[in-house]
Amino acid sequence: MTPLPMQDDEAIARALSGDLGAYEALVARYSAVAHRTAHLLGAGHEAEDVVQEAFVKAYRHLSGFRRDSAFKPWLLRIVANETHNLTRSRGRRAELAVRLGQEPEGGSTDPDADPEGAVVAADRSSRLLAAVRGLPDREREAVVCRYFLQLSEAETAEVLGCPVGSVKSRTFRGLRRLREEVGRELL
Amino acid sequence: MNSSDDFSELEDELRALSDALAVPEPSPPSAIASAVRATLEREPARQVRRWPRIRRRIIAIVAAFLVVLVAATPQGRAAVVSILRFAGVEIRVGEPAPLPSGSPSPLPGERRVSLADARAQVRFPLVVPAVLGDPADVRVADGGRVVSMFWPGVRLDQYDGRLQELWRKELGPPWPEDVFVDGVTGVWIQQQHGLQYSPGAGPPQEFRLSGPTLIWQRGQVGIRLEGPKTVEEARRIGNSVR
Repeated sequence: MTPLPMQDDEAIARALSGDLGAYEALVARYSAVAHRTAHLLGAGHEAEDVVQEAFVKAYRHLSGFRRDSAFKPWLLRIVANETHNLTRSRGRRAELAVRLGQEPEGGSTDPDADPEGAVVAADRSSRLLAAVRGLPDREREAVVCRYFLQLSEAETAEVLGCPVGSVKSRTFRGLRRLREEVGRELL
Repeated sequence: MNSSDDFSELEDELRALSDALAVPEPSPPSAIASAVRATLEREPARQVRRWPRIRRRIIAIVAAFLVVLVAATPQGRAAVVSILRFAGVEIRVGEPAPLPSGSPSPLPGERRVSLADARAQVRFPLVVPAVLGDPADVRVADGGRVVSMFWPGVRLDQYDGRLQELWRKELGPPWPEDVFVDGVTGVWIQQQHGLQYSPGAGPPQEFRLSGPTLIWQRGQVGIRLEGPKTVEEARRIGNSVR
């Protein structure tokens, strides 16, 4: 029987007392979501550097982490800020630099079934992605957090450093704009 | 039929799109973890090393301090998202609080003194930024707990920043930025924010409006530099302290 993995809380307690091995376990646990967050919030190919820097900073600031709250959004907040610092230091706008890889579920996996339908779906996906990319920064960040990172409204609020009410309104405005852009008949 | 506010289909579509995004594969988690560990081992953070030794004491002080604050803080202040304690300053980043509008009151027991008198009256070493020259005004406050120096448009506070938070800052996003200054990692707060002084005895002062501020720790001394509009200018001044 394998031992249960260490809970976040225990890992944090041990990391706070100087146990770097415990912190390593936390890093390993959250590196993938941190990387996706950095990438989608605008770090692009520099996401890996951002993630490492964010974990180093998180360790240094671990004493400020409230133990009764969740580690993931707290960490992703630091990732988001690091991403912001990076894009600002590069003098560029934080943008959603991501392409479509495979077609969404049911697209490329079965191309013979309905080739025309697959093409239409692919076109719709790329139009939707382009529309997300074109959203104003705040709305885009909210939409990315909610749907591309699948964070809750409360988590999104913590990551973006704004009240939950702002997350709701930014998401709502973003969705409304997306529907206008992509066209209601397609949705 | 969709009502105009029903976005559930669009939301589903966005979630499906999420799976199709070509986010590059990151390095394996274990590789990232090792790299982070190597960085932490290479440059052990001063704060982290020292932390366990004095942590109990700080926790006790901060707990007492927070009790006072909670009692003294009116309802409706910013909901705090994160707290960063650094160099004698507690920085609370949360929902943007209404910025204080009152005129700044002097620190308790503030007296105007000469630089030489200030050096004689406090128990910590004082520095002066070479690029600014001698301060136009020097004040010692709160029984020698804080020394403030003034130049046109610039204020530099020095205080014993080891054990207790003397200052509290409330701000909305963005999160303060780590910057390298005077040989250490400091914190740059780029936006205007609320600043409160907590005296050695008695209740905290009213919040006042503070401009962008650079904070760092030099040995035992916490330093906050207020006035420079950019981090570059603040670092230039901070790097010149002697």
